[in-house]
Parts: sequence; C-alpha cells; structure tokens
Amino acid sequence: MKKLITILSLIASLTLLNAAYPDGNELLKKIDDNMLSKTMKAKTTMVVQTKRATRTMVSINWAQGNSKSFSEYLSPAREKGTKMLKDGDNLWIYDPNTDRIIQISGNMLKQSVMGSDLSYEDFMEESTMQESYTATVSGAKVYEKRDCWVLNLSAKKADVAYQKITMYVDKVRFIPLYEDRYAKSGKLLKTTRVQEVMQVKDRWYPKTVLYKDALKNSKGTLFNVESIEFDLSIPAYIFSKASLKK
Amino acid sequence: MILKLAYKNILGNGWRSLINVIILSIVLTGMIWMQGLYDGWGRIARRQMIAWQFGSGHYEQVNYDKYDSFTLDKSNAALSPEMEKQVADGKAVPILYSAGVIYPQGRMTPVVIKGIPTQQSILAIPTEYLKIADKSAPVIPVIIGKQMAKSTRLSEGDQFTMRWKDIYGVFNAYDVVIAKVMNTPVPTTDVAQVWMDYDKLNEVKALNNSATLIVLKDKPVNSDLGSDWRYLSTDDSMAGTDAMISAKRVGGYVIFTLLLFLAMVAIFDTQILSIFKRRKEIGTLIALGLTKRQIIRLFTLEGTLYMLLGTVFTGIFGMPLFLYFGIKGYSMPVDVSSYNIAGMSDSIKCYYSPIMIISTFLIVMLVTVFASWLPTARIARMKATDALLGKV
Repeated sequence: MKKLITILSLIASLTLLNAAYPDGNELLKKIDDNMLSKTMKAKTTMVVQTKRATRTMVSINWAQGNSKSFSEYLSPAREKGTKMLKDGDNLWIYDPNTDRIIQISGNMLKQSVMGSDLSYEDFMEESTMQESYTATVSGAKVYEKRDCWVLNLSAKKADVAYQKITMYVDKVRFIPLYEDRYAKSGKLLKTTRVQEVMQVKDRWYPKTVLYKDALKNSKGTLFNVESIEFDLSIPAYIFSKASLKK
Repeated sequence: MILKLAYKNILGNGWRSLINVIILSIVLTGMIWMQGLYDGWGRIARRQMIAWQFGSGHYEQVNYDKYDSFTLDKSNAALSPEMEKQVADGKAVPILYSAGVIYPQGRMTPVVIKGIPTQQSILAIPTEYLKIADKSAPVIPVIIGKQMAKSTRLSEGDQFTMRWKDIYGVFNAYDVVIAKVMNTPVPTTDVAQVWMDYDKLNEVKALNNSATLIVLKDKPVNSDLGSDWRYLSTDDSMAGTDAMISAKRVGGYVIFTLLLFLAMVAIFDTQILSIFKRRKEIGTLIALGLTKRQIIRLFTLEGTLYMLLGTVFTGIFGMPLFLYFGIKGYSMPVDVSSYNIAGMSDSIKCYYSPIMIISTFLIVMLVTVFASWLPTARIARMKATDALLGKV
C-alpha cells in the first residue's frame, strides 16, 4: 500500500511539474515570431578569432524571410567588395579581386566562411524552428542572469541538418540564449551563446553571439549586430545575381 | 668495294669521325632511355592503378564526375541482385563515396570518405584493418594513405572526428581511429581520402548497399548494367594518365629533336668539308670509271656508317645505363614524386620494347642518311677535269 501511495504521489508531482512547464512547440512559435521577420537589413561585425590572429569583418546584410539574403563586406580592405547571395538552395559569392561570381555548392558548402566557425551550409537553412522541430521543455535554468526554459528539440523530418538541439530560451524575451546542435550520432557539432541582447521596437534580438564549431580548435566567431531594421521595403534587384557585380 | 672505301675514309677522318659517332651515340642513348622511361612509367602507372584503383574495369554511377566534387553526395545507386552475387563471389568490389570533413587536432580538412568492404581482395588496399569488431563501438577504424598522413600530420592510432551529411542532408559525426597508414603508390587513393568500412558508411549515410563505383576482378562479358551505371575499361580509366605521359613524352621529343638536329649539322658539315678536301680524289675516282651516282653513294654511305658506328657505341656504352635503369629503376626527385601522379612514387623501371628501339634507330638512321646525302648534290655538278685540278 505504501509503495502504491509513493508511486501515485510521484506521478502526481511529475504531472504538476509538467503542467508548470509551457508547451515546447508554443515556445518555438514564440521564438520564430520574435526572431523572424518578412525582411531585414543589418550592419554586422564578424570577429574571427584564430590561434594566430583576430580578424574583424564588417558587412551589411539584407534578408527576405529565410530563403533570400544578400551580404556585402565593407571591411577589411582585403575582403571589401566581397558579396554573397543566397536564393533558396543556391549560394553565390562575388570576389572583387578576380571579378568573378562563384557558385558555392557540394563540398565547398562545408568550407568555413571567411575562416570563421560558420560554414556556408549554415547559411542554407530555410525552414523555421516550428517547421523543423518538435520541442519539449525539460526544465528551467538561470543563464546569464536570465530565467530560461530548457528546450530539447528533435527534428520532425529526416532532412533537417541538425537532428537534435538543446537550447535555453529566455522566458520573457523568447530569445534562444544558449544552443547546442548535435549530429545524428549525438556528437556536439555547433554551439551558440548569446552574450548581449538589444531591443528593437517591440522585439528583443541577439546583439552579440558567439558561434563555435565544437569540433574545431578555435575560440569561436563573434557576431555583433551594429544596427538592424525589420520589415522594411527592399528592392527585388538586391536578391538578384546582377547585384553581385554592382 | 664502296663499303670498304667508305670505312677507310671514316677511319682516315680521325677525331672528326669520332666526335660524330659520339654525338650520334649520345642522341640514340638519350632517345632510347627517355622513351624507355616514359614507357616504364606508363606500365608501372597502369599496373598500380589496376592493383589499387580500377581493377580490370569498373562501373561508375552515372551522376559521378571525378572532376566535380559537387557530384559526390548524389552519385550512388543500390547494387542489383546480380551484382550483389558477384560481390559475394569475390568478382566485384563496391565502393561508396561521400564528401566529408575531418578535424585532426581541431583543424578542419575537407576529405572524400570512401567505403569499401573489408573482405575484398580485388584491390590492394589493406581493408582487413577496417573490420569493426564491436558494432556498437563509438570509434570507427579508418585507413589513410602516406601522403594524407603527412599533410594532416596523422599517424596510426590517432583519433579525430569525422563529419559528413547523410543523403537527407543531416549532419552526422563519429570519432575515427587510424588503423593503418597505407603505402599506396596511387595518389587518387591517398590524397584527401579516408577509407572506412562499406557497410558502416552505408549505414551512417542512411543508404542500403549502395555504391558509387563497382570495381571488377575480370573484364565483363556484357558491360551493360542498366541506366544507373556507366562502364569504364582500364584503358578508359588510364586515358588521363596516358595523355599526361604522352604530353611529357612530346616535351622530351623536343629536346631530342634539337640534339638530333645538332648531330645532323655535324654530319652535314663533315660531309661538306670532306667533299671540299677530297675534290682531287673525286676527280680520280671519276677518271677511274666510277659514275657520279657511285661516288654519291660512297659519300652517303660514309655518313650512314657514322650512324652504324654510333649504334655500336650505343650498344657498348649505353647498355650498362639501359640495364641499370631497367633493373634498378629511376627514382624521381622528392619534389617531383610528390606531384600526385600515379607511378611516380616508386622508382620507374625503364621498359625498352623492340618496336621502340627499332623505330628510334630507323628515325635516326633516316635523318643521318638524309644529312649525309644532302651535301653530295654538289658532286653531281662536278666535272671530272675540274675535280682533278681541285676546282669545284
């Protein structure tokens, strides 16, 4: 009898605990609503920290949903004028030194972008979190002095690049502050740590993010948003191949 | 009589004749050695590529393009039941390709991952090292080549992480251990390549008994394997290497054409000088009843004898050289042997085919005869009286 009472009370407490957690998929929707916009224009700084040196690259970026984006590097002088266009599954790079447009595909997608911890294929993800993952909340945690939900994401489809993700989501601002992305085998591949956030009108957005390829021996790549605008009007030609050589 | 006279004249020419003979001998030796080297290189490259890469022919999945790494992840097809039987009988070996990235000491290095059955015996790759004893073990044994080990600073027993995408584009990664660093002479099985178990690669790529290449033990009777596969014979596979060797051979020909030209100039000059110096002798021979044609034949024969003596010299002095490079071989300098060209990593044993030797001899002979004959046109214009007086 005592055993039964213990089991029942355990089940009851677990049920209560679960009831105290929000629905993971609802949280994903809120994250998507907060992070995504119809269009976006941002000036960003990418700091690549290698063993030998630290390189800072400034770029201006335009995006339309998750499927189209265009970036132009403003500095340093070596990279100035380099442009990158993503349109669906296609990715092109314009190199001003050779005045050539190169399509990045196949094995080249696995190479790092400007020596950073990001590979070109990291730019190729198109689906929203909601479309790609099923989420369960496994607990709560304080991360960087913010109350967060711990989310465990499992891919809904077989063609999602990362099949498992663990993330800490700010309970109020719905920003994933901490992300660990895993291979199908369970091996940790990429980590993302938001170091600073900023408020843009009615939404909160990551300002400084440290990306790290967990397999690579590096200090990671720091991504800093200098300025950002959401839902602005962007001319269609920006996302055309012609704009790469302009 | 003319032959005897020509021989005596050559001996009478002394040093001039010796120099001509030596030059011709050097040209002949060089031409035969160079061609022997290229033929030897072609033979060793073919032998090595058959042993390590292509077998007696192979099938390629139709999407595969060896010059386009973008095709790697989409060039695979399941083996047909007939082919599965051939694989089981040891008559074929399937190889699956995948694009991947390795992280030795945390350095990101793109590679081609190749899955090959561990029990195969058609290719010389030591696949027995790829056997996975414990299927649930977290570390996969792999083989790399010597050059790959050198460029990535890896050695046997080293562990690192290898990452790739499966056919759905999902990231997968495992720790791998170098079970063997193989000494493969074929760079296309070495540079930027990681070999692992075929079944394991199929499993982690979310495939089932699919391959990019099927290497055959024997030439197939019927090479048609359906629309998914394209058959390539050993000759087809060697076309690139053969073309490269031919291009190198042409480069060698240019040098020896120049040398041959110099030798011909020497013979031509000797003949001109000889005709000038021997005007009285020519006049006497005409007076004694020899026709101009016979005298032209004499002079031409003298030139041709240079070639024959050159051949004897080549036989005497070139033979040890030919034997040395034919038996011991020619080791390419270190900087050249790392050019990633098949057949260059081992010492190249020169191969002198009779056809090559005879054709080289005939070419030099023809050119020598021509160079000897050309100056004799002057004899045809000579008058016997003028020749006797020493006038031309």
